[in-house]
Order: sequence, then structure tokens, then C-alpha cells
Amino acid sequence: MAEALLEVRGLTVRYGAAVALADVSLQVARGEMVALVGPNGAGKTTLLNAISGVIRPAAGRIQLSGRVTQVPEGRQLFADMSVEDNLRIGAWSVRQRDPAAVYELLPRLRELRGRIAGTLSGGEQQMVAVGRALMSTPDLLAIDELSLGLAPLVVDSLAQYLRSLNRERATAILLVEQNVRLALELCPRAYVLEAGQIVLSGSAEELASSAAVQAAYLGGAPEPVPVASGGEDAEA
Amino acid sequence: MTTVLRSRFLRPSSVLIAGVALASLLLPPLLDSGKQTVFVLFTLYVVVTVGLSLLMGLAGQISLGQAAFYALGAYTAGLLAKHGLPQLLALAAAPVGSAVVATLIGVPVLRLRGHYLAFATLAFQLIVLTILAEARGITGGDIGLGGIPPLLPVLNQGQDSELDLNSPLVYCYVGWLVAALVIVLTRNLVRSRPGRGLRALATSEIGAAASGVAVGADKLKVFTISAAYAGLAGGVYAFFLEYLSPGSFPILLSIQFIVMATLGGLGEVWGAVLGAAVIVLLVQVLQAAASQPGLPRQAPAILSYAAYGGVMVLVMLFLPAGLLPTLRQRLSRGRG
Amino acid sequence: MSALLQYLISGIATGCAFALVATGFVTIHRVTGVVNFAQGGFAILAGYVTFSALRAGLPHGVSELLAVLLATAAGGVVGVISIGRRGTPLLASLIITIGLGFLFYAVEVAIWGDQPLQFEGVPGVFSLAGLTLQRQYLLIVAGAVVSFAALLLFFNRTYLGKIFTACASNAYAARLAGINVTRVGIAAFAVGGLLGGLAGVLLLPLRSLTFDSDVDLAVNGFAAAIFGGLQRPGAALVGGLVIGVAEALVAGYSHASYQKGVSLVLIVGILVWQASRRAQAD
Ligand SMILES: Nc1ncnc2c1ncn2[C@@H]1O[C@H](COP(=O)(O)OP(=O)(O)OP(=O)(O)O)[C@@H](O)[C@H]1O
Ligand SMILES: [Mg+2]
Repeated sequence: MAEALLEVRGLTVRYGAAVALADVSLQVARGEMVALVGPNGAGKTTLLNAISGVIRPAAGRIQLSGRVTQVPEGRQLFADMSVEDNLRIGAWSVRQRDPAAVYELLPRLRELRGRIAGTLSGGEQQMVAVGRALMSTPDLLAIDELSLGLAPLVVDSLAQYLRSLNRERATAILLVEQNVRLALELCPRAYVLEAGQIVLSGSAEELASSAAVQAAYLGGAPEPVPVASGGEDAEA
Repeated sequence: MTTVLRSRFLRPSSVLIAGVALASLLLPPLLDSGKQTVFVLFTLYVVVTVGLSLLMGLAGQISLGQAAFYALGAYTAGLLAKHGLPQLLALAAAPVGSAVVATLIGVPVLRLRGHYLAFATLAFQLIVLTILAEARGITGGDIGLGGIPPLLPVLNQGQDSELDLNSPLVYCYVGWLVAALVIVLTRNLVRSRPGRGLRALATSEIGAAASGVAVGADKLKVFTISAAYAGLAGGVYAFFLEYLSPGSFPILLSIQFIVMATLGGLGEVWGAVLGAAVIVLLVQVLQAAASQPGLPRQAPAILSYAAYGGVMVLVMLFLPAGLLPTLRQRLSRGRG
Repeated sequence: MSALLQYLISGIATGCAFALVATGFVTIHRVTGVVNFAQGGFAILAGYVTFSALRAGLPHGVSELLAVLLATAAGGVVGVISIGRRGTPLLASLIITIGLGFLFYAVEVAIWGDQPLQFEGVPGVFSLAGLTLQRQYLLIVAGAVVSFAALLLFFNRTYLGKIFTACASNAYAARLAGINVTRVGIAAFAVGGLLGGLAGVLLLPLRSLTFDSDVDLAVNGFAAAIFGGLQRPGAALVGGLVIGVAEALVAGYSHASYQKGVSLVLIVGILVWQASRRAQAD
């Protein structure tokens, strides 16, 4: 494997007495796209929050050789502020606060720059959330539930943006996604997290053809089908 | 979860309770009359604080105006007794008076939540104080209401000697009885089915509503009960002092009740007792310390403000759950 | 008629001061969720410091500036203690601010005693429509207007100000963006101290200065702030003016001691009315 950008080893996270993550290990290489899938309550958001440093692990190591920024579950925009202000606040930790580079990648945001973020459609909000995270020029973009509540077409175009981001800027992506079809299509490698533990990992093809994954996440379909025509949620 | 709740509300053990009860029964005769007065006030604070702790801990509502219900109970009892109602009846009317007012204002005001409710209760107290000060014809205004007859009869024993039952010592036991009554009542209430529903209310109003708890009605019930407790304590206060004035019920008194409840541990009957005891003892120790000769005139005030504030800050920083839950945790950890 | 004008002007002036206290409540609450019970204390502290600075021979302006700076620092200290420690629950933070209010009392009584003091504001009077009014009223209104304009500019036009708004809007997202929300909260406390201090140096020359008169200021400020749900500075300004004017009118036309009661009934009435309208809308 190429040089590790993110290396998580033996990570354990507790909420009070409840164990949310138990001895989780995972790697993401520079410029890699990795999917993290699993049922509700598996601990995916918890894992991203630990990687982002907003919750403290009880045990284990998280090594990062670069900047990570999270696109949180449910967008979490600054709803009463303008799109441009949302973007600029995303750049708090860096010097460069001009959103021009992000507008270049997501041109739609330039048209929306003056709108109040809370009044945008779900897809537009997700785009702002991604753009805001990109403002800090991360080496790793950790995205929590990209497709949540979005129409298949919108999801498809967001996926296209991520692809070009990854291709053009070599930004690594760790994608948490309930839509396993989409996740496995977008990312060459994936982990399956269940009840706080990594139960499976491997290349997208391996996982997609594994009987366990098919039964649990792909509705028993023999082959992964293209995203735009499918889009049904594993859990929904 | 259920074991947590059970350990929370069914302990401390009956042995400890019996010990506390016995000790507090034996204590008053050993005190001088000044300290007996402090003991009486302590029992009354316990009564008010138990109610407030119930309201804050179980119903999740904050009242910044609990001293208003204390005042209303005091004036109800004082006025009725002064105008000829038998004293015990007047005392019984005190919690009723406060409860009636609580129900009347609770219907509109409990539509408010959180900080809004806190503000409304604060405003309520200021309004009550204004009315008490302005209705001079009835309450005596700022000058106060004097001439309240004592609670217990004065027994004539022959010609010159009479036995006045209304000594501070007797009131120590009156206060003790009232506090014991309220503690027993509250413990039964907390264990009852409505009590369990109320705990759901404290955790989350929406969750409680979803699980079929009638949120509004239950909130009103706890609000009324806590007001009745405060009113009952106020009634005893009126007979004990035989004199009332609005100045005896400042906002700071309401805040003091909140501090006692939070310090002890919210939603905890015995936490309220512990919180009240700690604050009362603290004030006593400070006053003793500050009245040493050679200290400036303001020393008592400075020292008591400093220590009062200091204790609140330190306890909330280092034991934010309150004294009793922390103590219990330490003990059970020590055992297990 | 001229009496009415007189009441209106004095009401607006005190209302402006209440609005400053209220905006302090709002600034702190928006970012931290804490209702700062020491808010009135900043004003009183600033009043005492002005008193001493003037006594020591410092000129007006310098004395007030010094006082406001100290109040700002006091705000920061209250912030550090009440929210600086990780994992302090909200109710605990609130009780801590009450405790710190008592510590203010201790310091103030130790330094300035417990008897009422008085300090001079702007001397002199001005006339308007045949009325003679104290110049200090003008200063209060001007000071409040400038403060509000500055605050508006800060929150809406500067990057740092927008960071405050972001923390208030979504603390979790702010943390993900790398913002230290606790530190911003402490800064909000300092701004609260500044606003309280301003209210103190502007209003207190018209009143006598006692350590526990913070309760009255805090109650009025809280009342004004609750108008906008402790969230909207603009509503707090309106709230302050409504309370100031209502109190002045009640005091003028009926009885001074009713003024508190009437304005409080008014506010609680409005709150309950709003709440029941919301309940019907749901
Ligand atoms: N702040 C918290 N306090 C207590 N428990 C929590 C907290 N956050 C999450 N949990 C618990 O930790 C477990 C993992 O939650 P997490 O949000 O990480 O799951 P997830 O995989 O992201 O689920 P979903 O797919 O529904 O988003 C769950 O059981 C959840 O209830
Ligand atoms: Mg999640």
C-alpha cells in the first residue's frame, strides 16, 4: 500500500459505560478513496468524530500525516448565515479565506453565494457542506452520509464532484455511506463496521460479491447495479 | 437503568435515615436559643428545597421565585390567624393558599419552558413582593404584619406562672415534624407511578409525551406540590416569628433555595436535606468567624459573600452532579 | 403633555442602558447557552471603578474607559471559570455565575463598603421643547447608539464577529471547522462584561451605587433579553426600550413602586401570548 495518510490502530471509544467503538483499526493512503459502511448505530459517525478530534478516544492511536476535515452527517450548516460566510468559516484554520478555488470546483456555489444557507435545498446544502470542508484544503475529506435524504440524480452529481476532486487534487476521501451500492462503486476499497467493530474489509469487488454483504446491504442482488437507476437505501 | 433509578431513590439505607432522624431529634435541646432559631429555619429550608429539588430534578423546570410561595404561605397563615381563624387551621391553609396561586399562574406560565419559565417565576416573585408592599391596608406594607398569634396555646398554671409552649425549642420540633412529613410524602410520590412518569419529563419532554405521560398536567402537579411545600414552610415561619414583612423574602432567598437544591443533588430528597444543611452550617461558621473582635464592621458580610460564592463555584466545578450523588458514587466504588 | 415627553425621554435613556445589559445576556447566551447571572455585577463594578478613578483625580472619559476595560476583563474571568473547565454542565455554569456574583459582592464591600455612593456623570442640563433635562440622558442614548452600531458592524461585517455567530448557530460544525468554541464562549463573556460595564458607567450617575443594586439591573436586562428569546440582540434593544418607557410612564402617572410590577406583567403576558400562539401553530 502507498504511504498512509491516516492510520487508526486499536481505537476504542466509550459514551459513559457504553462502548461505541472497540479496537478498530483502519488505514487510508494518500489520494485514496475508501468507503466505510455499516448499519445504523454501528459507530461510523463516532469513528469520524474521533478522527476529527471532536471526541476523545478511551484507547488506541490515530495518526494523521496531513489535515482532515469532516463533512458532518446532516450537513450541519450555519443555517442563518450566507453560503459564502459558511465557506469562509470553513477556512478558519488556514490563511487563505478566498472561496475562489472552491467555486471553481463547485461552480453552482458561486451562484448561491449570497443565499442564506438554511433556505437551500437538501442537495445544495450538501454541496455547501462539501465546499465548506474543502475550504481548509484537507488532505483527507471525511464525509458522513453523503446521500442522506437526497434524490438519486443529485447524489450522482455529488459523486461526480468527489471523483474529480480526488482525481484533480489528489484529495483522499473516507466516505461513510448507507447506500452501499454507491459507496462500493465510488471507492475501490471499503470497510464494514458493525456494532463498533470492523467485521470485513477489502476491495470493493471482493465485498460486493461476498455473500454476507449482499445479504445484509445489497438486498441479495447478484450484481451491483448502477447508482442512478438504483439508489435504494440498505436501511431504509 | 432501573437499578440506577432504584439506587438513586430508595437509598440511603434505613439505618442511616434512622440515625439522621435520631440525631436531629436529640440536637435541639443542646443548642442555645439563637442556634435553635437557626435549626427551625433549617427545617423550613429543607421543606422548601425538597419541593424545588422535585421540580428541578424530576420535572426539569427551574423556579427562580420559590420564595414567593414561601411568602404567600406565610402571609396566608399570618393574616388568617390574626383575623381569628384557629391557628392550626390557618397553618393548614398556608400550603393551600400557595398551591391555589401556583395552579392559577401555572396554567398560563407553564406553557413557557426553560429560561422563559425561569424568568416568569422571577417576575412572579417581584410582583408578589410589590403587592405585599403596596397592599398596606391588608399586609401592613413595608412596615410589616405584626400581631400574629403564636401557634401553640399559652397554658395558665395558677396565678403568675404560665407555660409558654412557643419557645424556639418547641418550634424546632414543629419544624422537624413538618420536614419529616414532607420527606415521607415526597419519597412515596417519587416511587409512585406518576413519579416515574415525571422522571421521563425531566429527561425529555418530547420523549415523555411520546410514552404517554401527560406532560402539561404533570408539570402543573409538581409545580403546585412544590409551591404547597413552600407555603407550608412559610406558614410555620409566620407563627414562629409572629411578624412578617416583604423584606424577609428577597430574590436572594429564592436563589439560595436553588443553590441548596443543586448543591445537594437535584431530584434527590436527601440531597435537598444535605444541601440545606451545608449552606446553613456554612453561614453559621462564617458568622462566628467574622464576629471575632478586631475585624472591621463589614467583615461578616465580606466573609459570608466570599465563602458562599466560593463554595458554589467550587462545588459546581468539581462536583457538578451535587454532593449526594457524588458521595454515593464514591461509596459504591469503594465497596465494589 | 410636557410631562409625557419628560417621561418618554427618561424612559428611553434608562431603556437604552437596560438594552446594553440585555445585549450582554444575549451575546453570552447565544454562544454558550449560559444565562450569566453575574451580568448586573459588571455594571456595578464599572460604576465603583469610575467612582474611585474620579476620586483619584483622573478626568472623565479616562475614568469611564478604565472602568469598562476592567468590566471586560471581569467578563473574561467569569467566562474562564464558568465554562473553561471541560464537561461543566449548563446548569452548573449558571450556578457558578451566581456564585461569582457573590464573590463580586465580597470584593466590592471590601473595597467600597456597603453604604450607597454617588458619582458624577456629565454635568449640566439641556432644554428640549420647553423641558429641562439632564445632559446625562443624551450621553446614555448616544453611548447606546454607538455601541449598538459597533456591535452590529462587528457581528455582521468582521470575520471574527462571524465566528461568534457561527458558534451560536452550530457549535458542532464550528468545532469541526477547527474553532475552539470554548475560547469563543469566553470571548463572548468578555463582550458581555464590556456591555455591562458600558451600561454601568452610563446609567449609574443617575442612580446611587450600592453593591447589590445589580439585581435590579440584571432583572431588567434579563427581561429585555428574554423578549428575543435570549437570541436576538435587536429584540433585546426593543425589549429594553419597552421596559424603560413603561417603567417611566407608570412611575410618572401612578406610583413609583408599581413600575416594576407593571412592566413585568407586561413581559410575562407577551411571553405567554407568544407561547400559546406557537402552540396553536404546531
Ligand atoms: N453523544 C452520545 N452519547 C451517547 N451515546 C452515543 C452518542 N453518540 C452516539 N452514541 C451511541 O453510539 C453508538 C454509535 O453511534 P454512531 O452515531 O456513531 O452510529 P452511526 O454508525 O453513525 O449510525 P447512523 O448510521 O445511524 O448514523 C450508537 O449506539 C449511539 O446510540
Ligand atoms: Mg452516523
